[in-house]
Amino acid sequence: MLAKLATIGRFGLFAGGIARRAAQRPVFYREVVAQLWTTSIRCVLPVVAVTFPFGMVMALQGLEIFRIFGAERMLSSLISIATLRELSPVLASVLVAAQGGSSCAASLGAMRIKEELDATEVMAIDSIKYHVVPRVIAMTIACPLLNIAGSIAGVGGGYFTAVYLKGESGGIFLAELWAFMGPMDVYGGIIKTTLFGLTIGLISCYHGFRATGGAAGVGKAVNDTVVHGIVAFITLNYFLTSALFGAVAP
Amino acid sequence: MNAVFAGLAGVGRYGLWVRDFCRALAAHGPPQGQTLAEAFRIGIKSLPILLIIAAFVGTNLALQGYNAFKPLGGQRLVGMFVSLAGVRELAPIIAAAMISAKAGTEMASQIGVMKIREQVDALEVMAVNPLAYLVAPRLIGIMLVLPALTIIAIFVMLSSAYLVSVHQLGLAGHEFIQFASESIEPIDFVYGAFKAMFFGLIICTISCYFGFNCGKGPAGVGQATNRAVVTSSVVCIALNYFLSEMLYGGAL
Repeated sequence: MLAKLATIGRFGLFAGGIARRAAQRPVFYREVVAQLWTTSIRCVLPVVAVTFPFGMVMALQGLEIFRIFGAERMLSSLISIATLRELSPVLASVLVAAQGGSSCAASLGAMRIKEELDATEVMAIDSIKYHVVPRVIAMTIACPLLNIAGSIAGVGGGYFTAVYLKGESGGIFLAELWAFMGPMDVYGGIIKTTLFGLTIGLISCYHGFRATGGAAGVGKAVNDTVVHGIVAFITLNYFLTSALFGAVAP
Repeated sequence: MNAVFAGLAGVGRYGLWVRDFCRALAAHGPPQGQTLAEAFRIGIKSLPILLIIAAFVGTNLALQGYNAFKPLGGQRLVGMFVSLAGVRELAPIIAAAMISAKAGTEMASQIGVMKIREQVDALEVMAVNPLAYLVAPRLIGIMLVLPALTIIAIFVMLSSAYLVSVHQLGLAGHEFIQFASESIEPIDFVYGAFKAMFFGLIICTISCYFGFNCGKGPAGVGQATNRAVVTSSVVCIALNYFLSEMLYGGAL
């Protein structure tokens, strides 16, 4: 119990150190862009490969239910709201934690084990500033971008099943797509995923930076990153959804 | 183009590995005594995080169901929405994703470390088949435990959704329970457990495959672990569509 509290405290100090260094000059822009590019390229295929089938499943199950009430035309507005508000932010962040976060922890952990981080310090370069800050910034920017890709793929998956496999009318699907949407539905997902990306980036860098004990230690760092990252942002998600979409009884 | 060919080659190597594994299993059978220990380890270690995740997914299902049906004046449908979406789709998927994040990464990193420390070769030298000794107990363990975890996730999800709908959203509790229980049938639980067993098979074979084909040094273990969790969760969610189509889409 006390050990867990101590871990939370160490994590807080680490996050504070990152925030302080991110505010100071110089910022290694080139490193940020390189990390952003690798993270986005690595994650975009898994994110699309997950949200597209989920959109398909939603259309499949949704049609079953809406056919009972004869309300098939409601399908696409339900799919677009569910995808933009919850499914795409959550699934994209799960995949960012699994792919981007874990590869970030793996590379930092391997650098720690091979004493490359110590070598950076010996050359009078702040290792947190050079290696960690760009990764956290890149993850914070990449997560909302991937969420947009995931939203498009999710709605596309729903369209594919409803129109091509189940024979609904494509025109009605597209016309009803924005029926219940407000601007908050679009911004809400982006605000959420920015915060999720920050959380995942901080947690993965924390575990990677503190990896000890050889190859097994790197494996454990990756494992802890994925698990703690997902638990943290799903817990955060409940409070963000309550706050952003105003789901409180009148 | 090279990436496509590399992906195809990976699928082929995975198929060959599964064939070898089936042969080893047929020849040796799983080692006695380890299977239950693995099942216990996978289940107990993953249970706390699964409970947290399932509880918060349930709360969000209720919040978003309430928001989605409010314009239609159908807040009472929240119970139906939660139970349909939770029992049929989300609980099996969430359990599979968490198990692949927790137990799958652990399998890949344990086997990867054994591989780079040449402990796998040492097993072969002792005339123990590493596939039957290391993979088979994990496979049977995860296939025993994952359906149980899925059923637990369903109940946690529905309870947290109930708490949010009644205490935060102010809906009537008896209506929630009535709509929730009317919209699902006992067979849905069986289908959920079936899906979970299938996901367990996928997660275990993919994670162990990446562990056995791990690269050199600490970076190799990290990469193998990373690939294991991403590949197994993507494959599970993609296959989920076909399973749902088969079980609920009227193909049966």
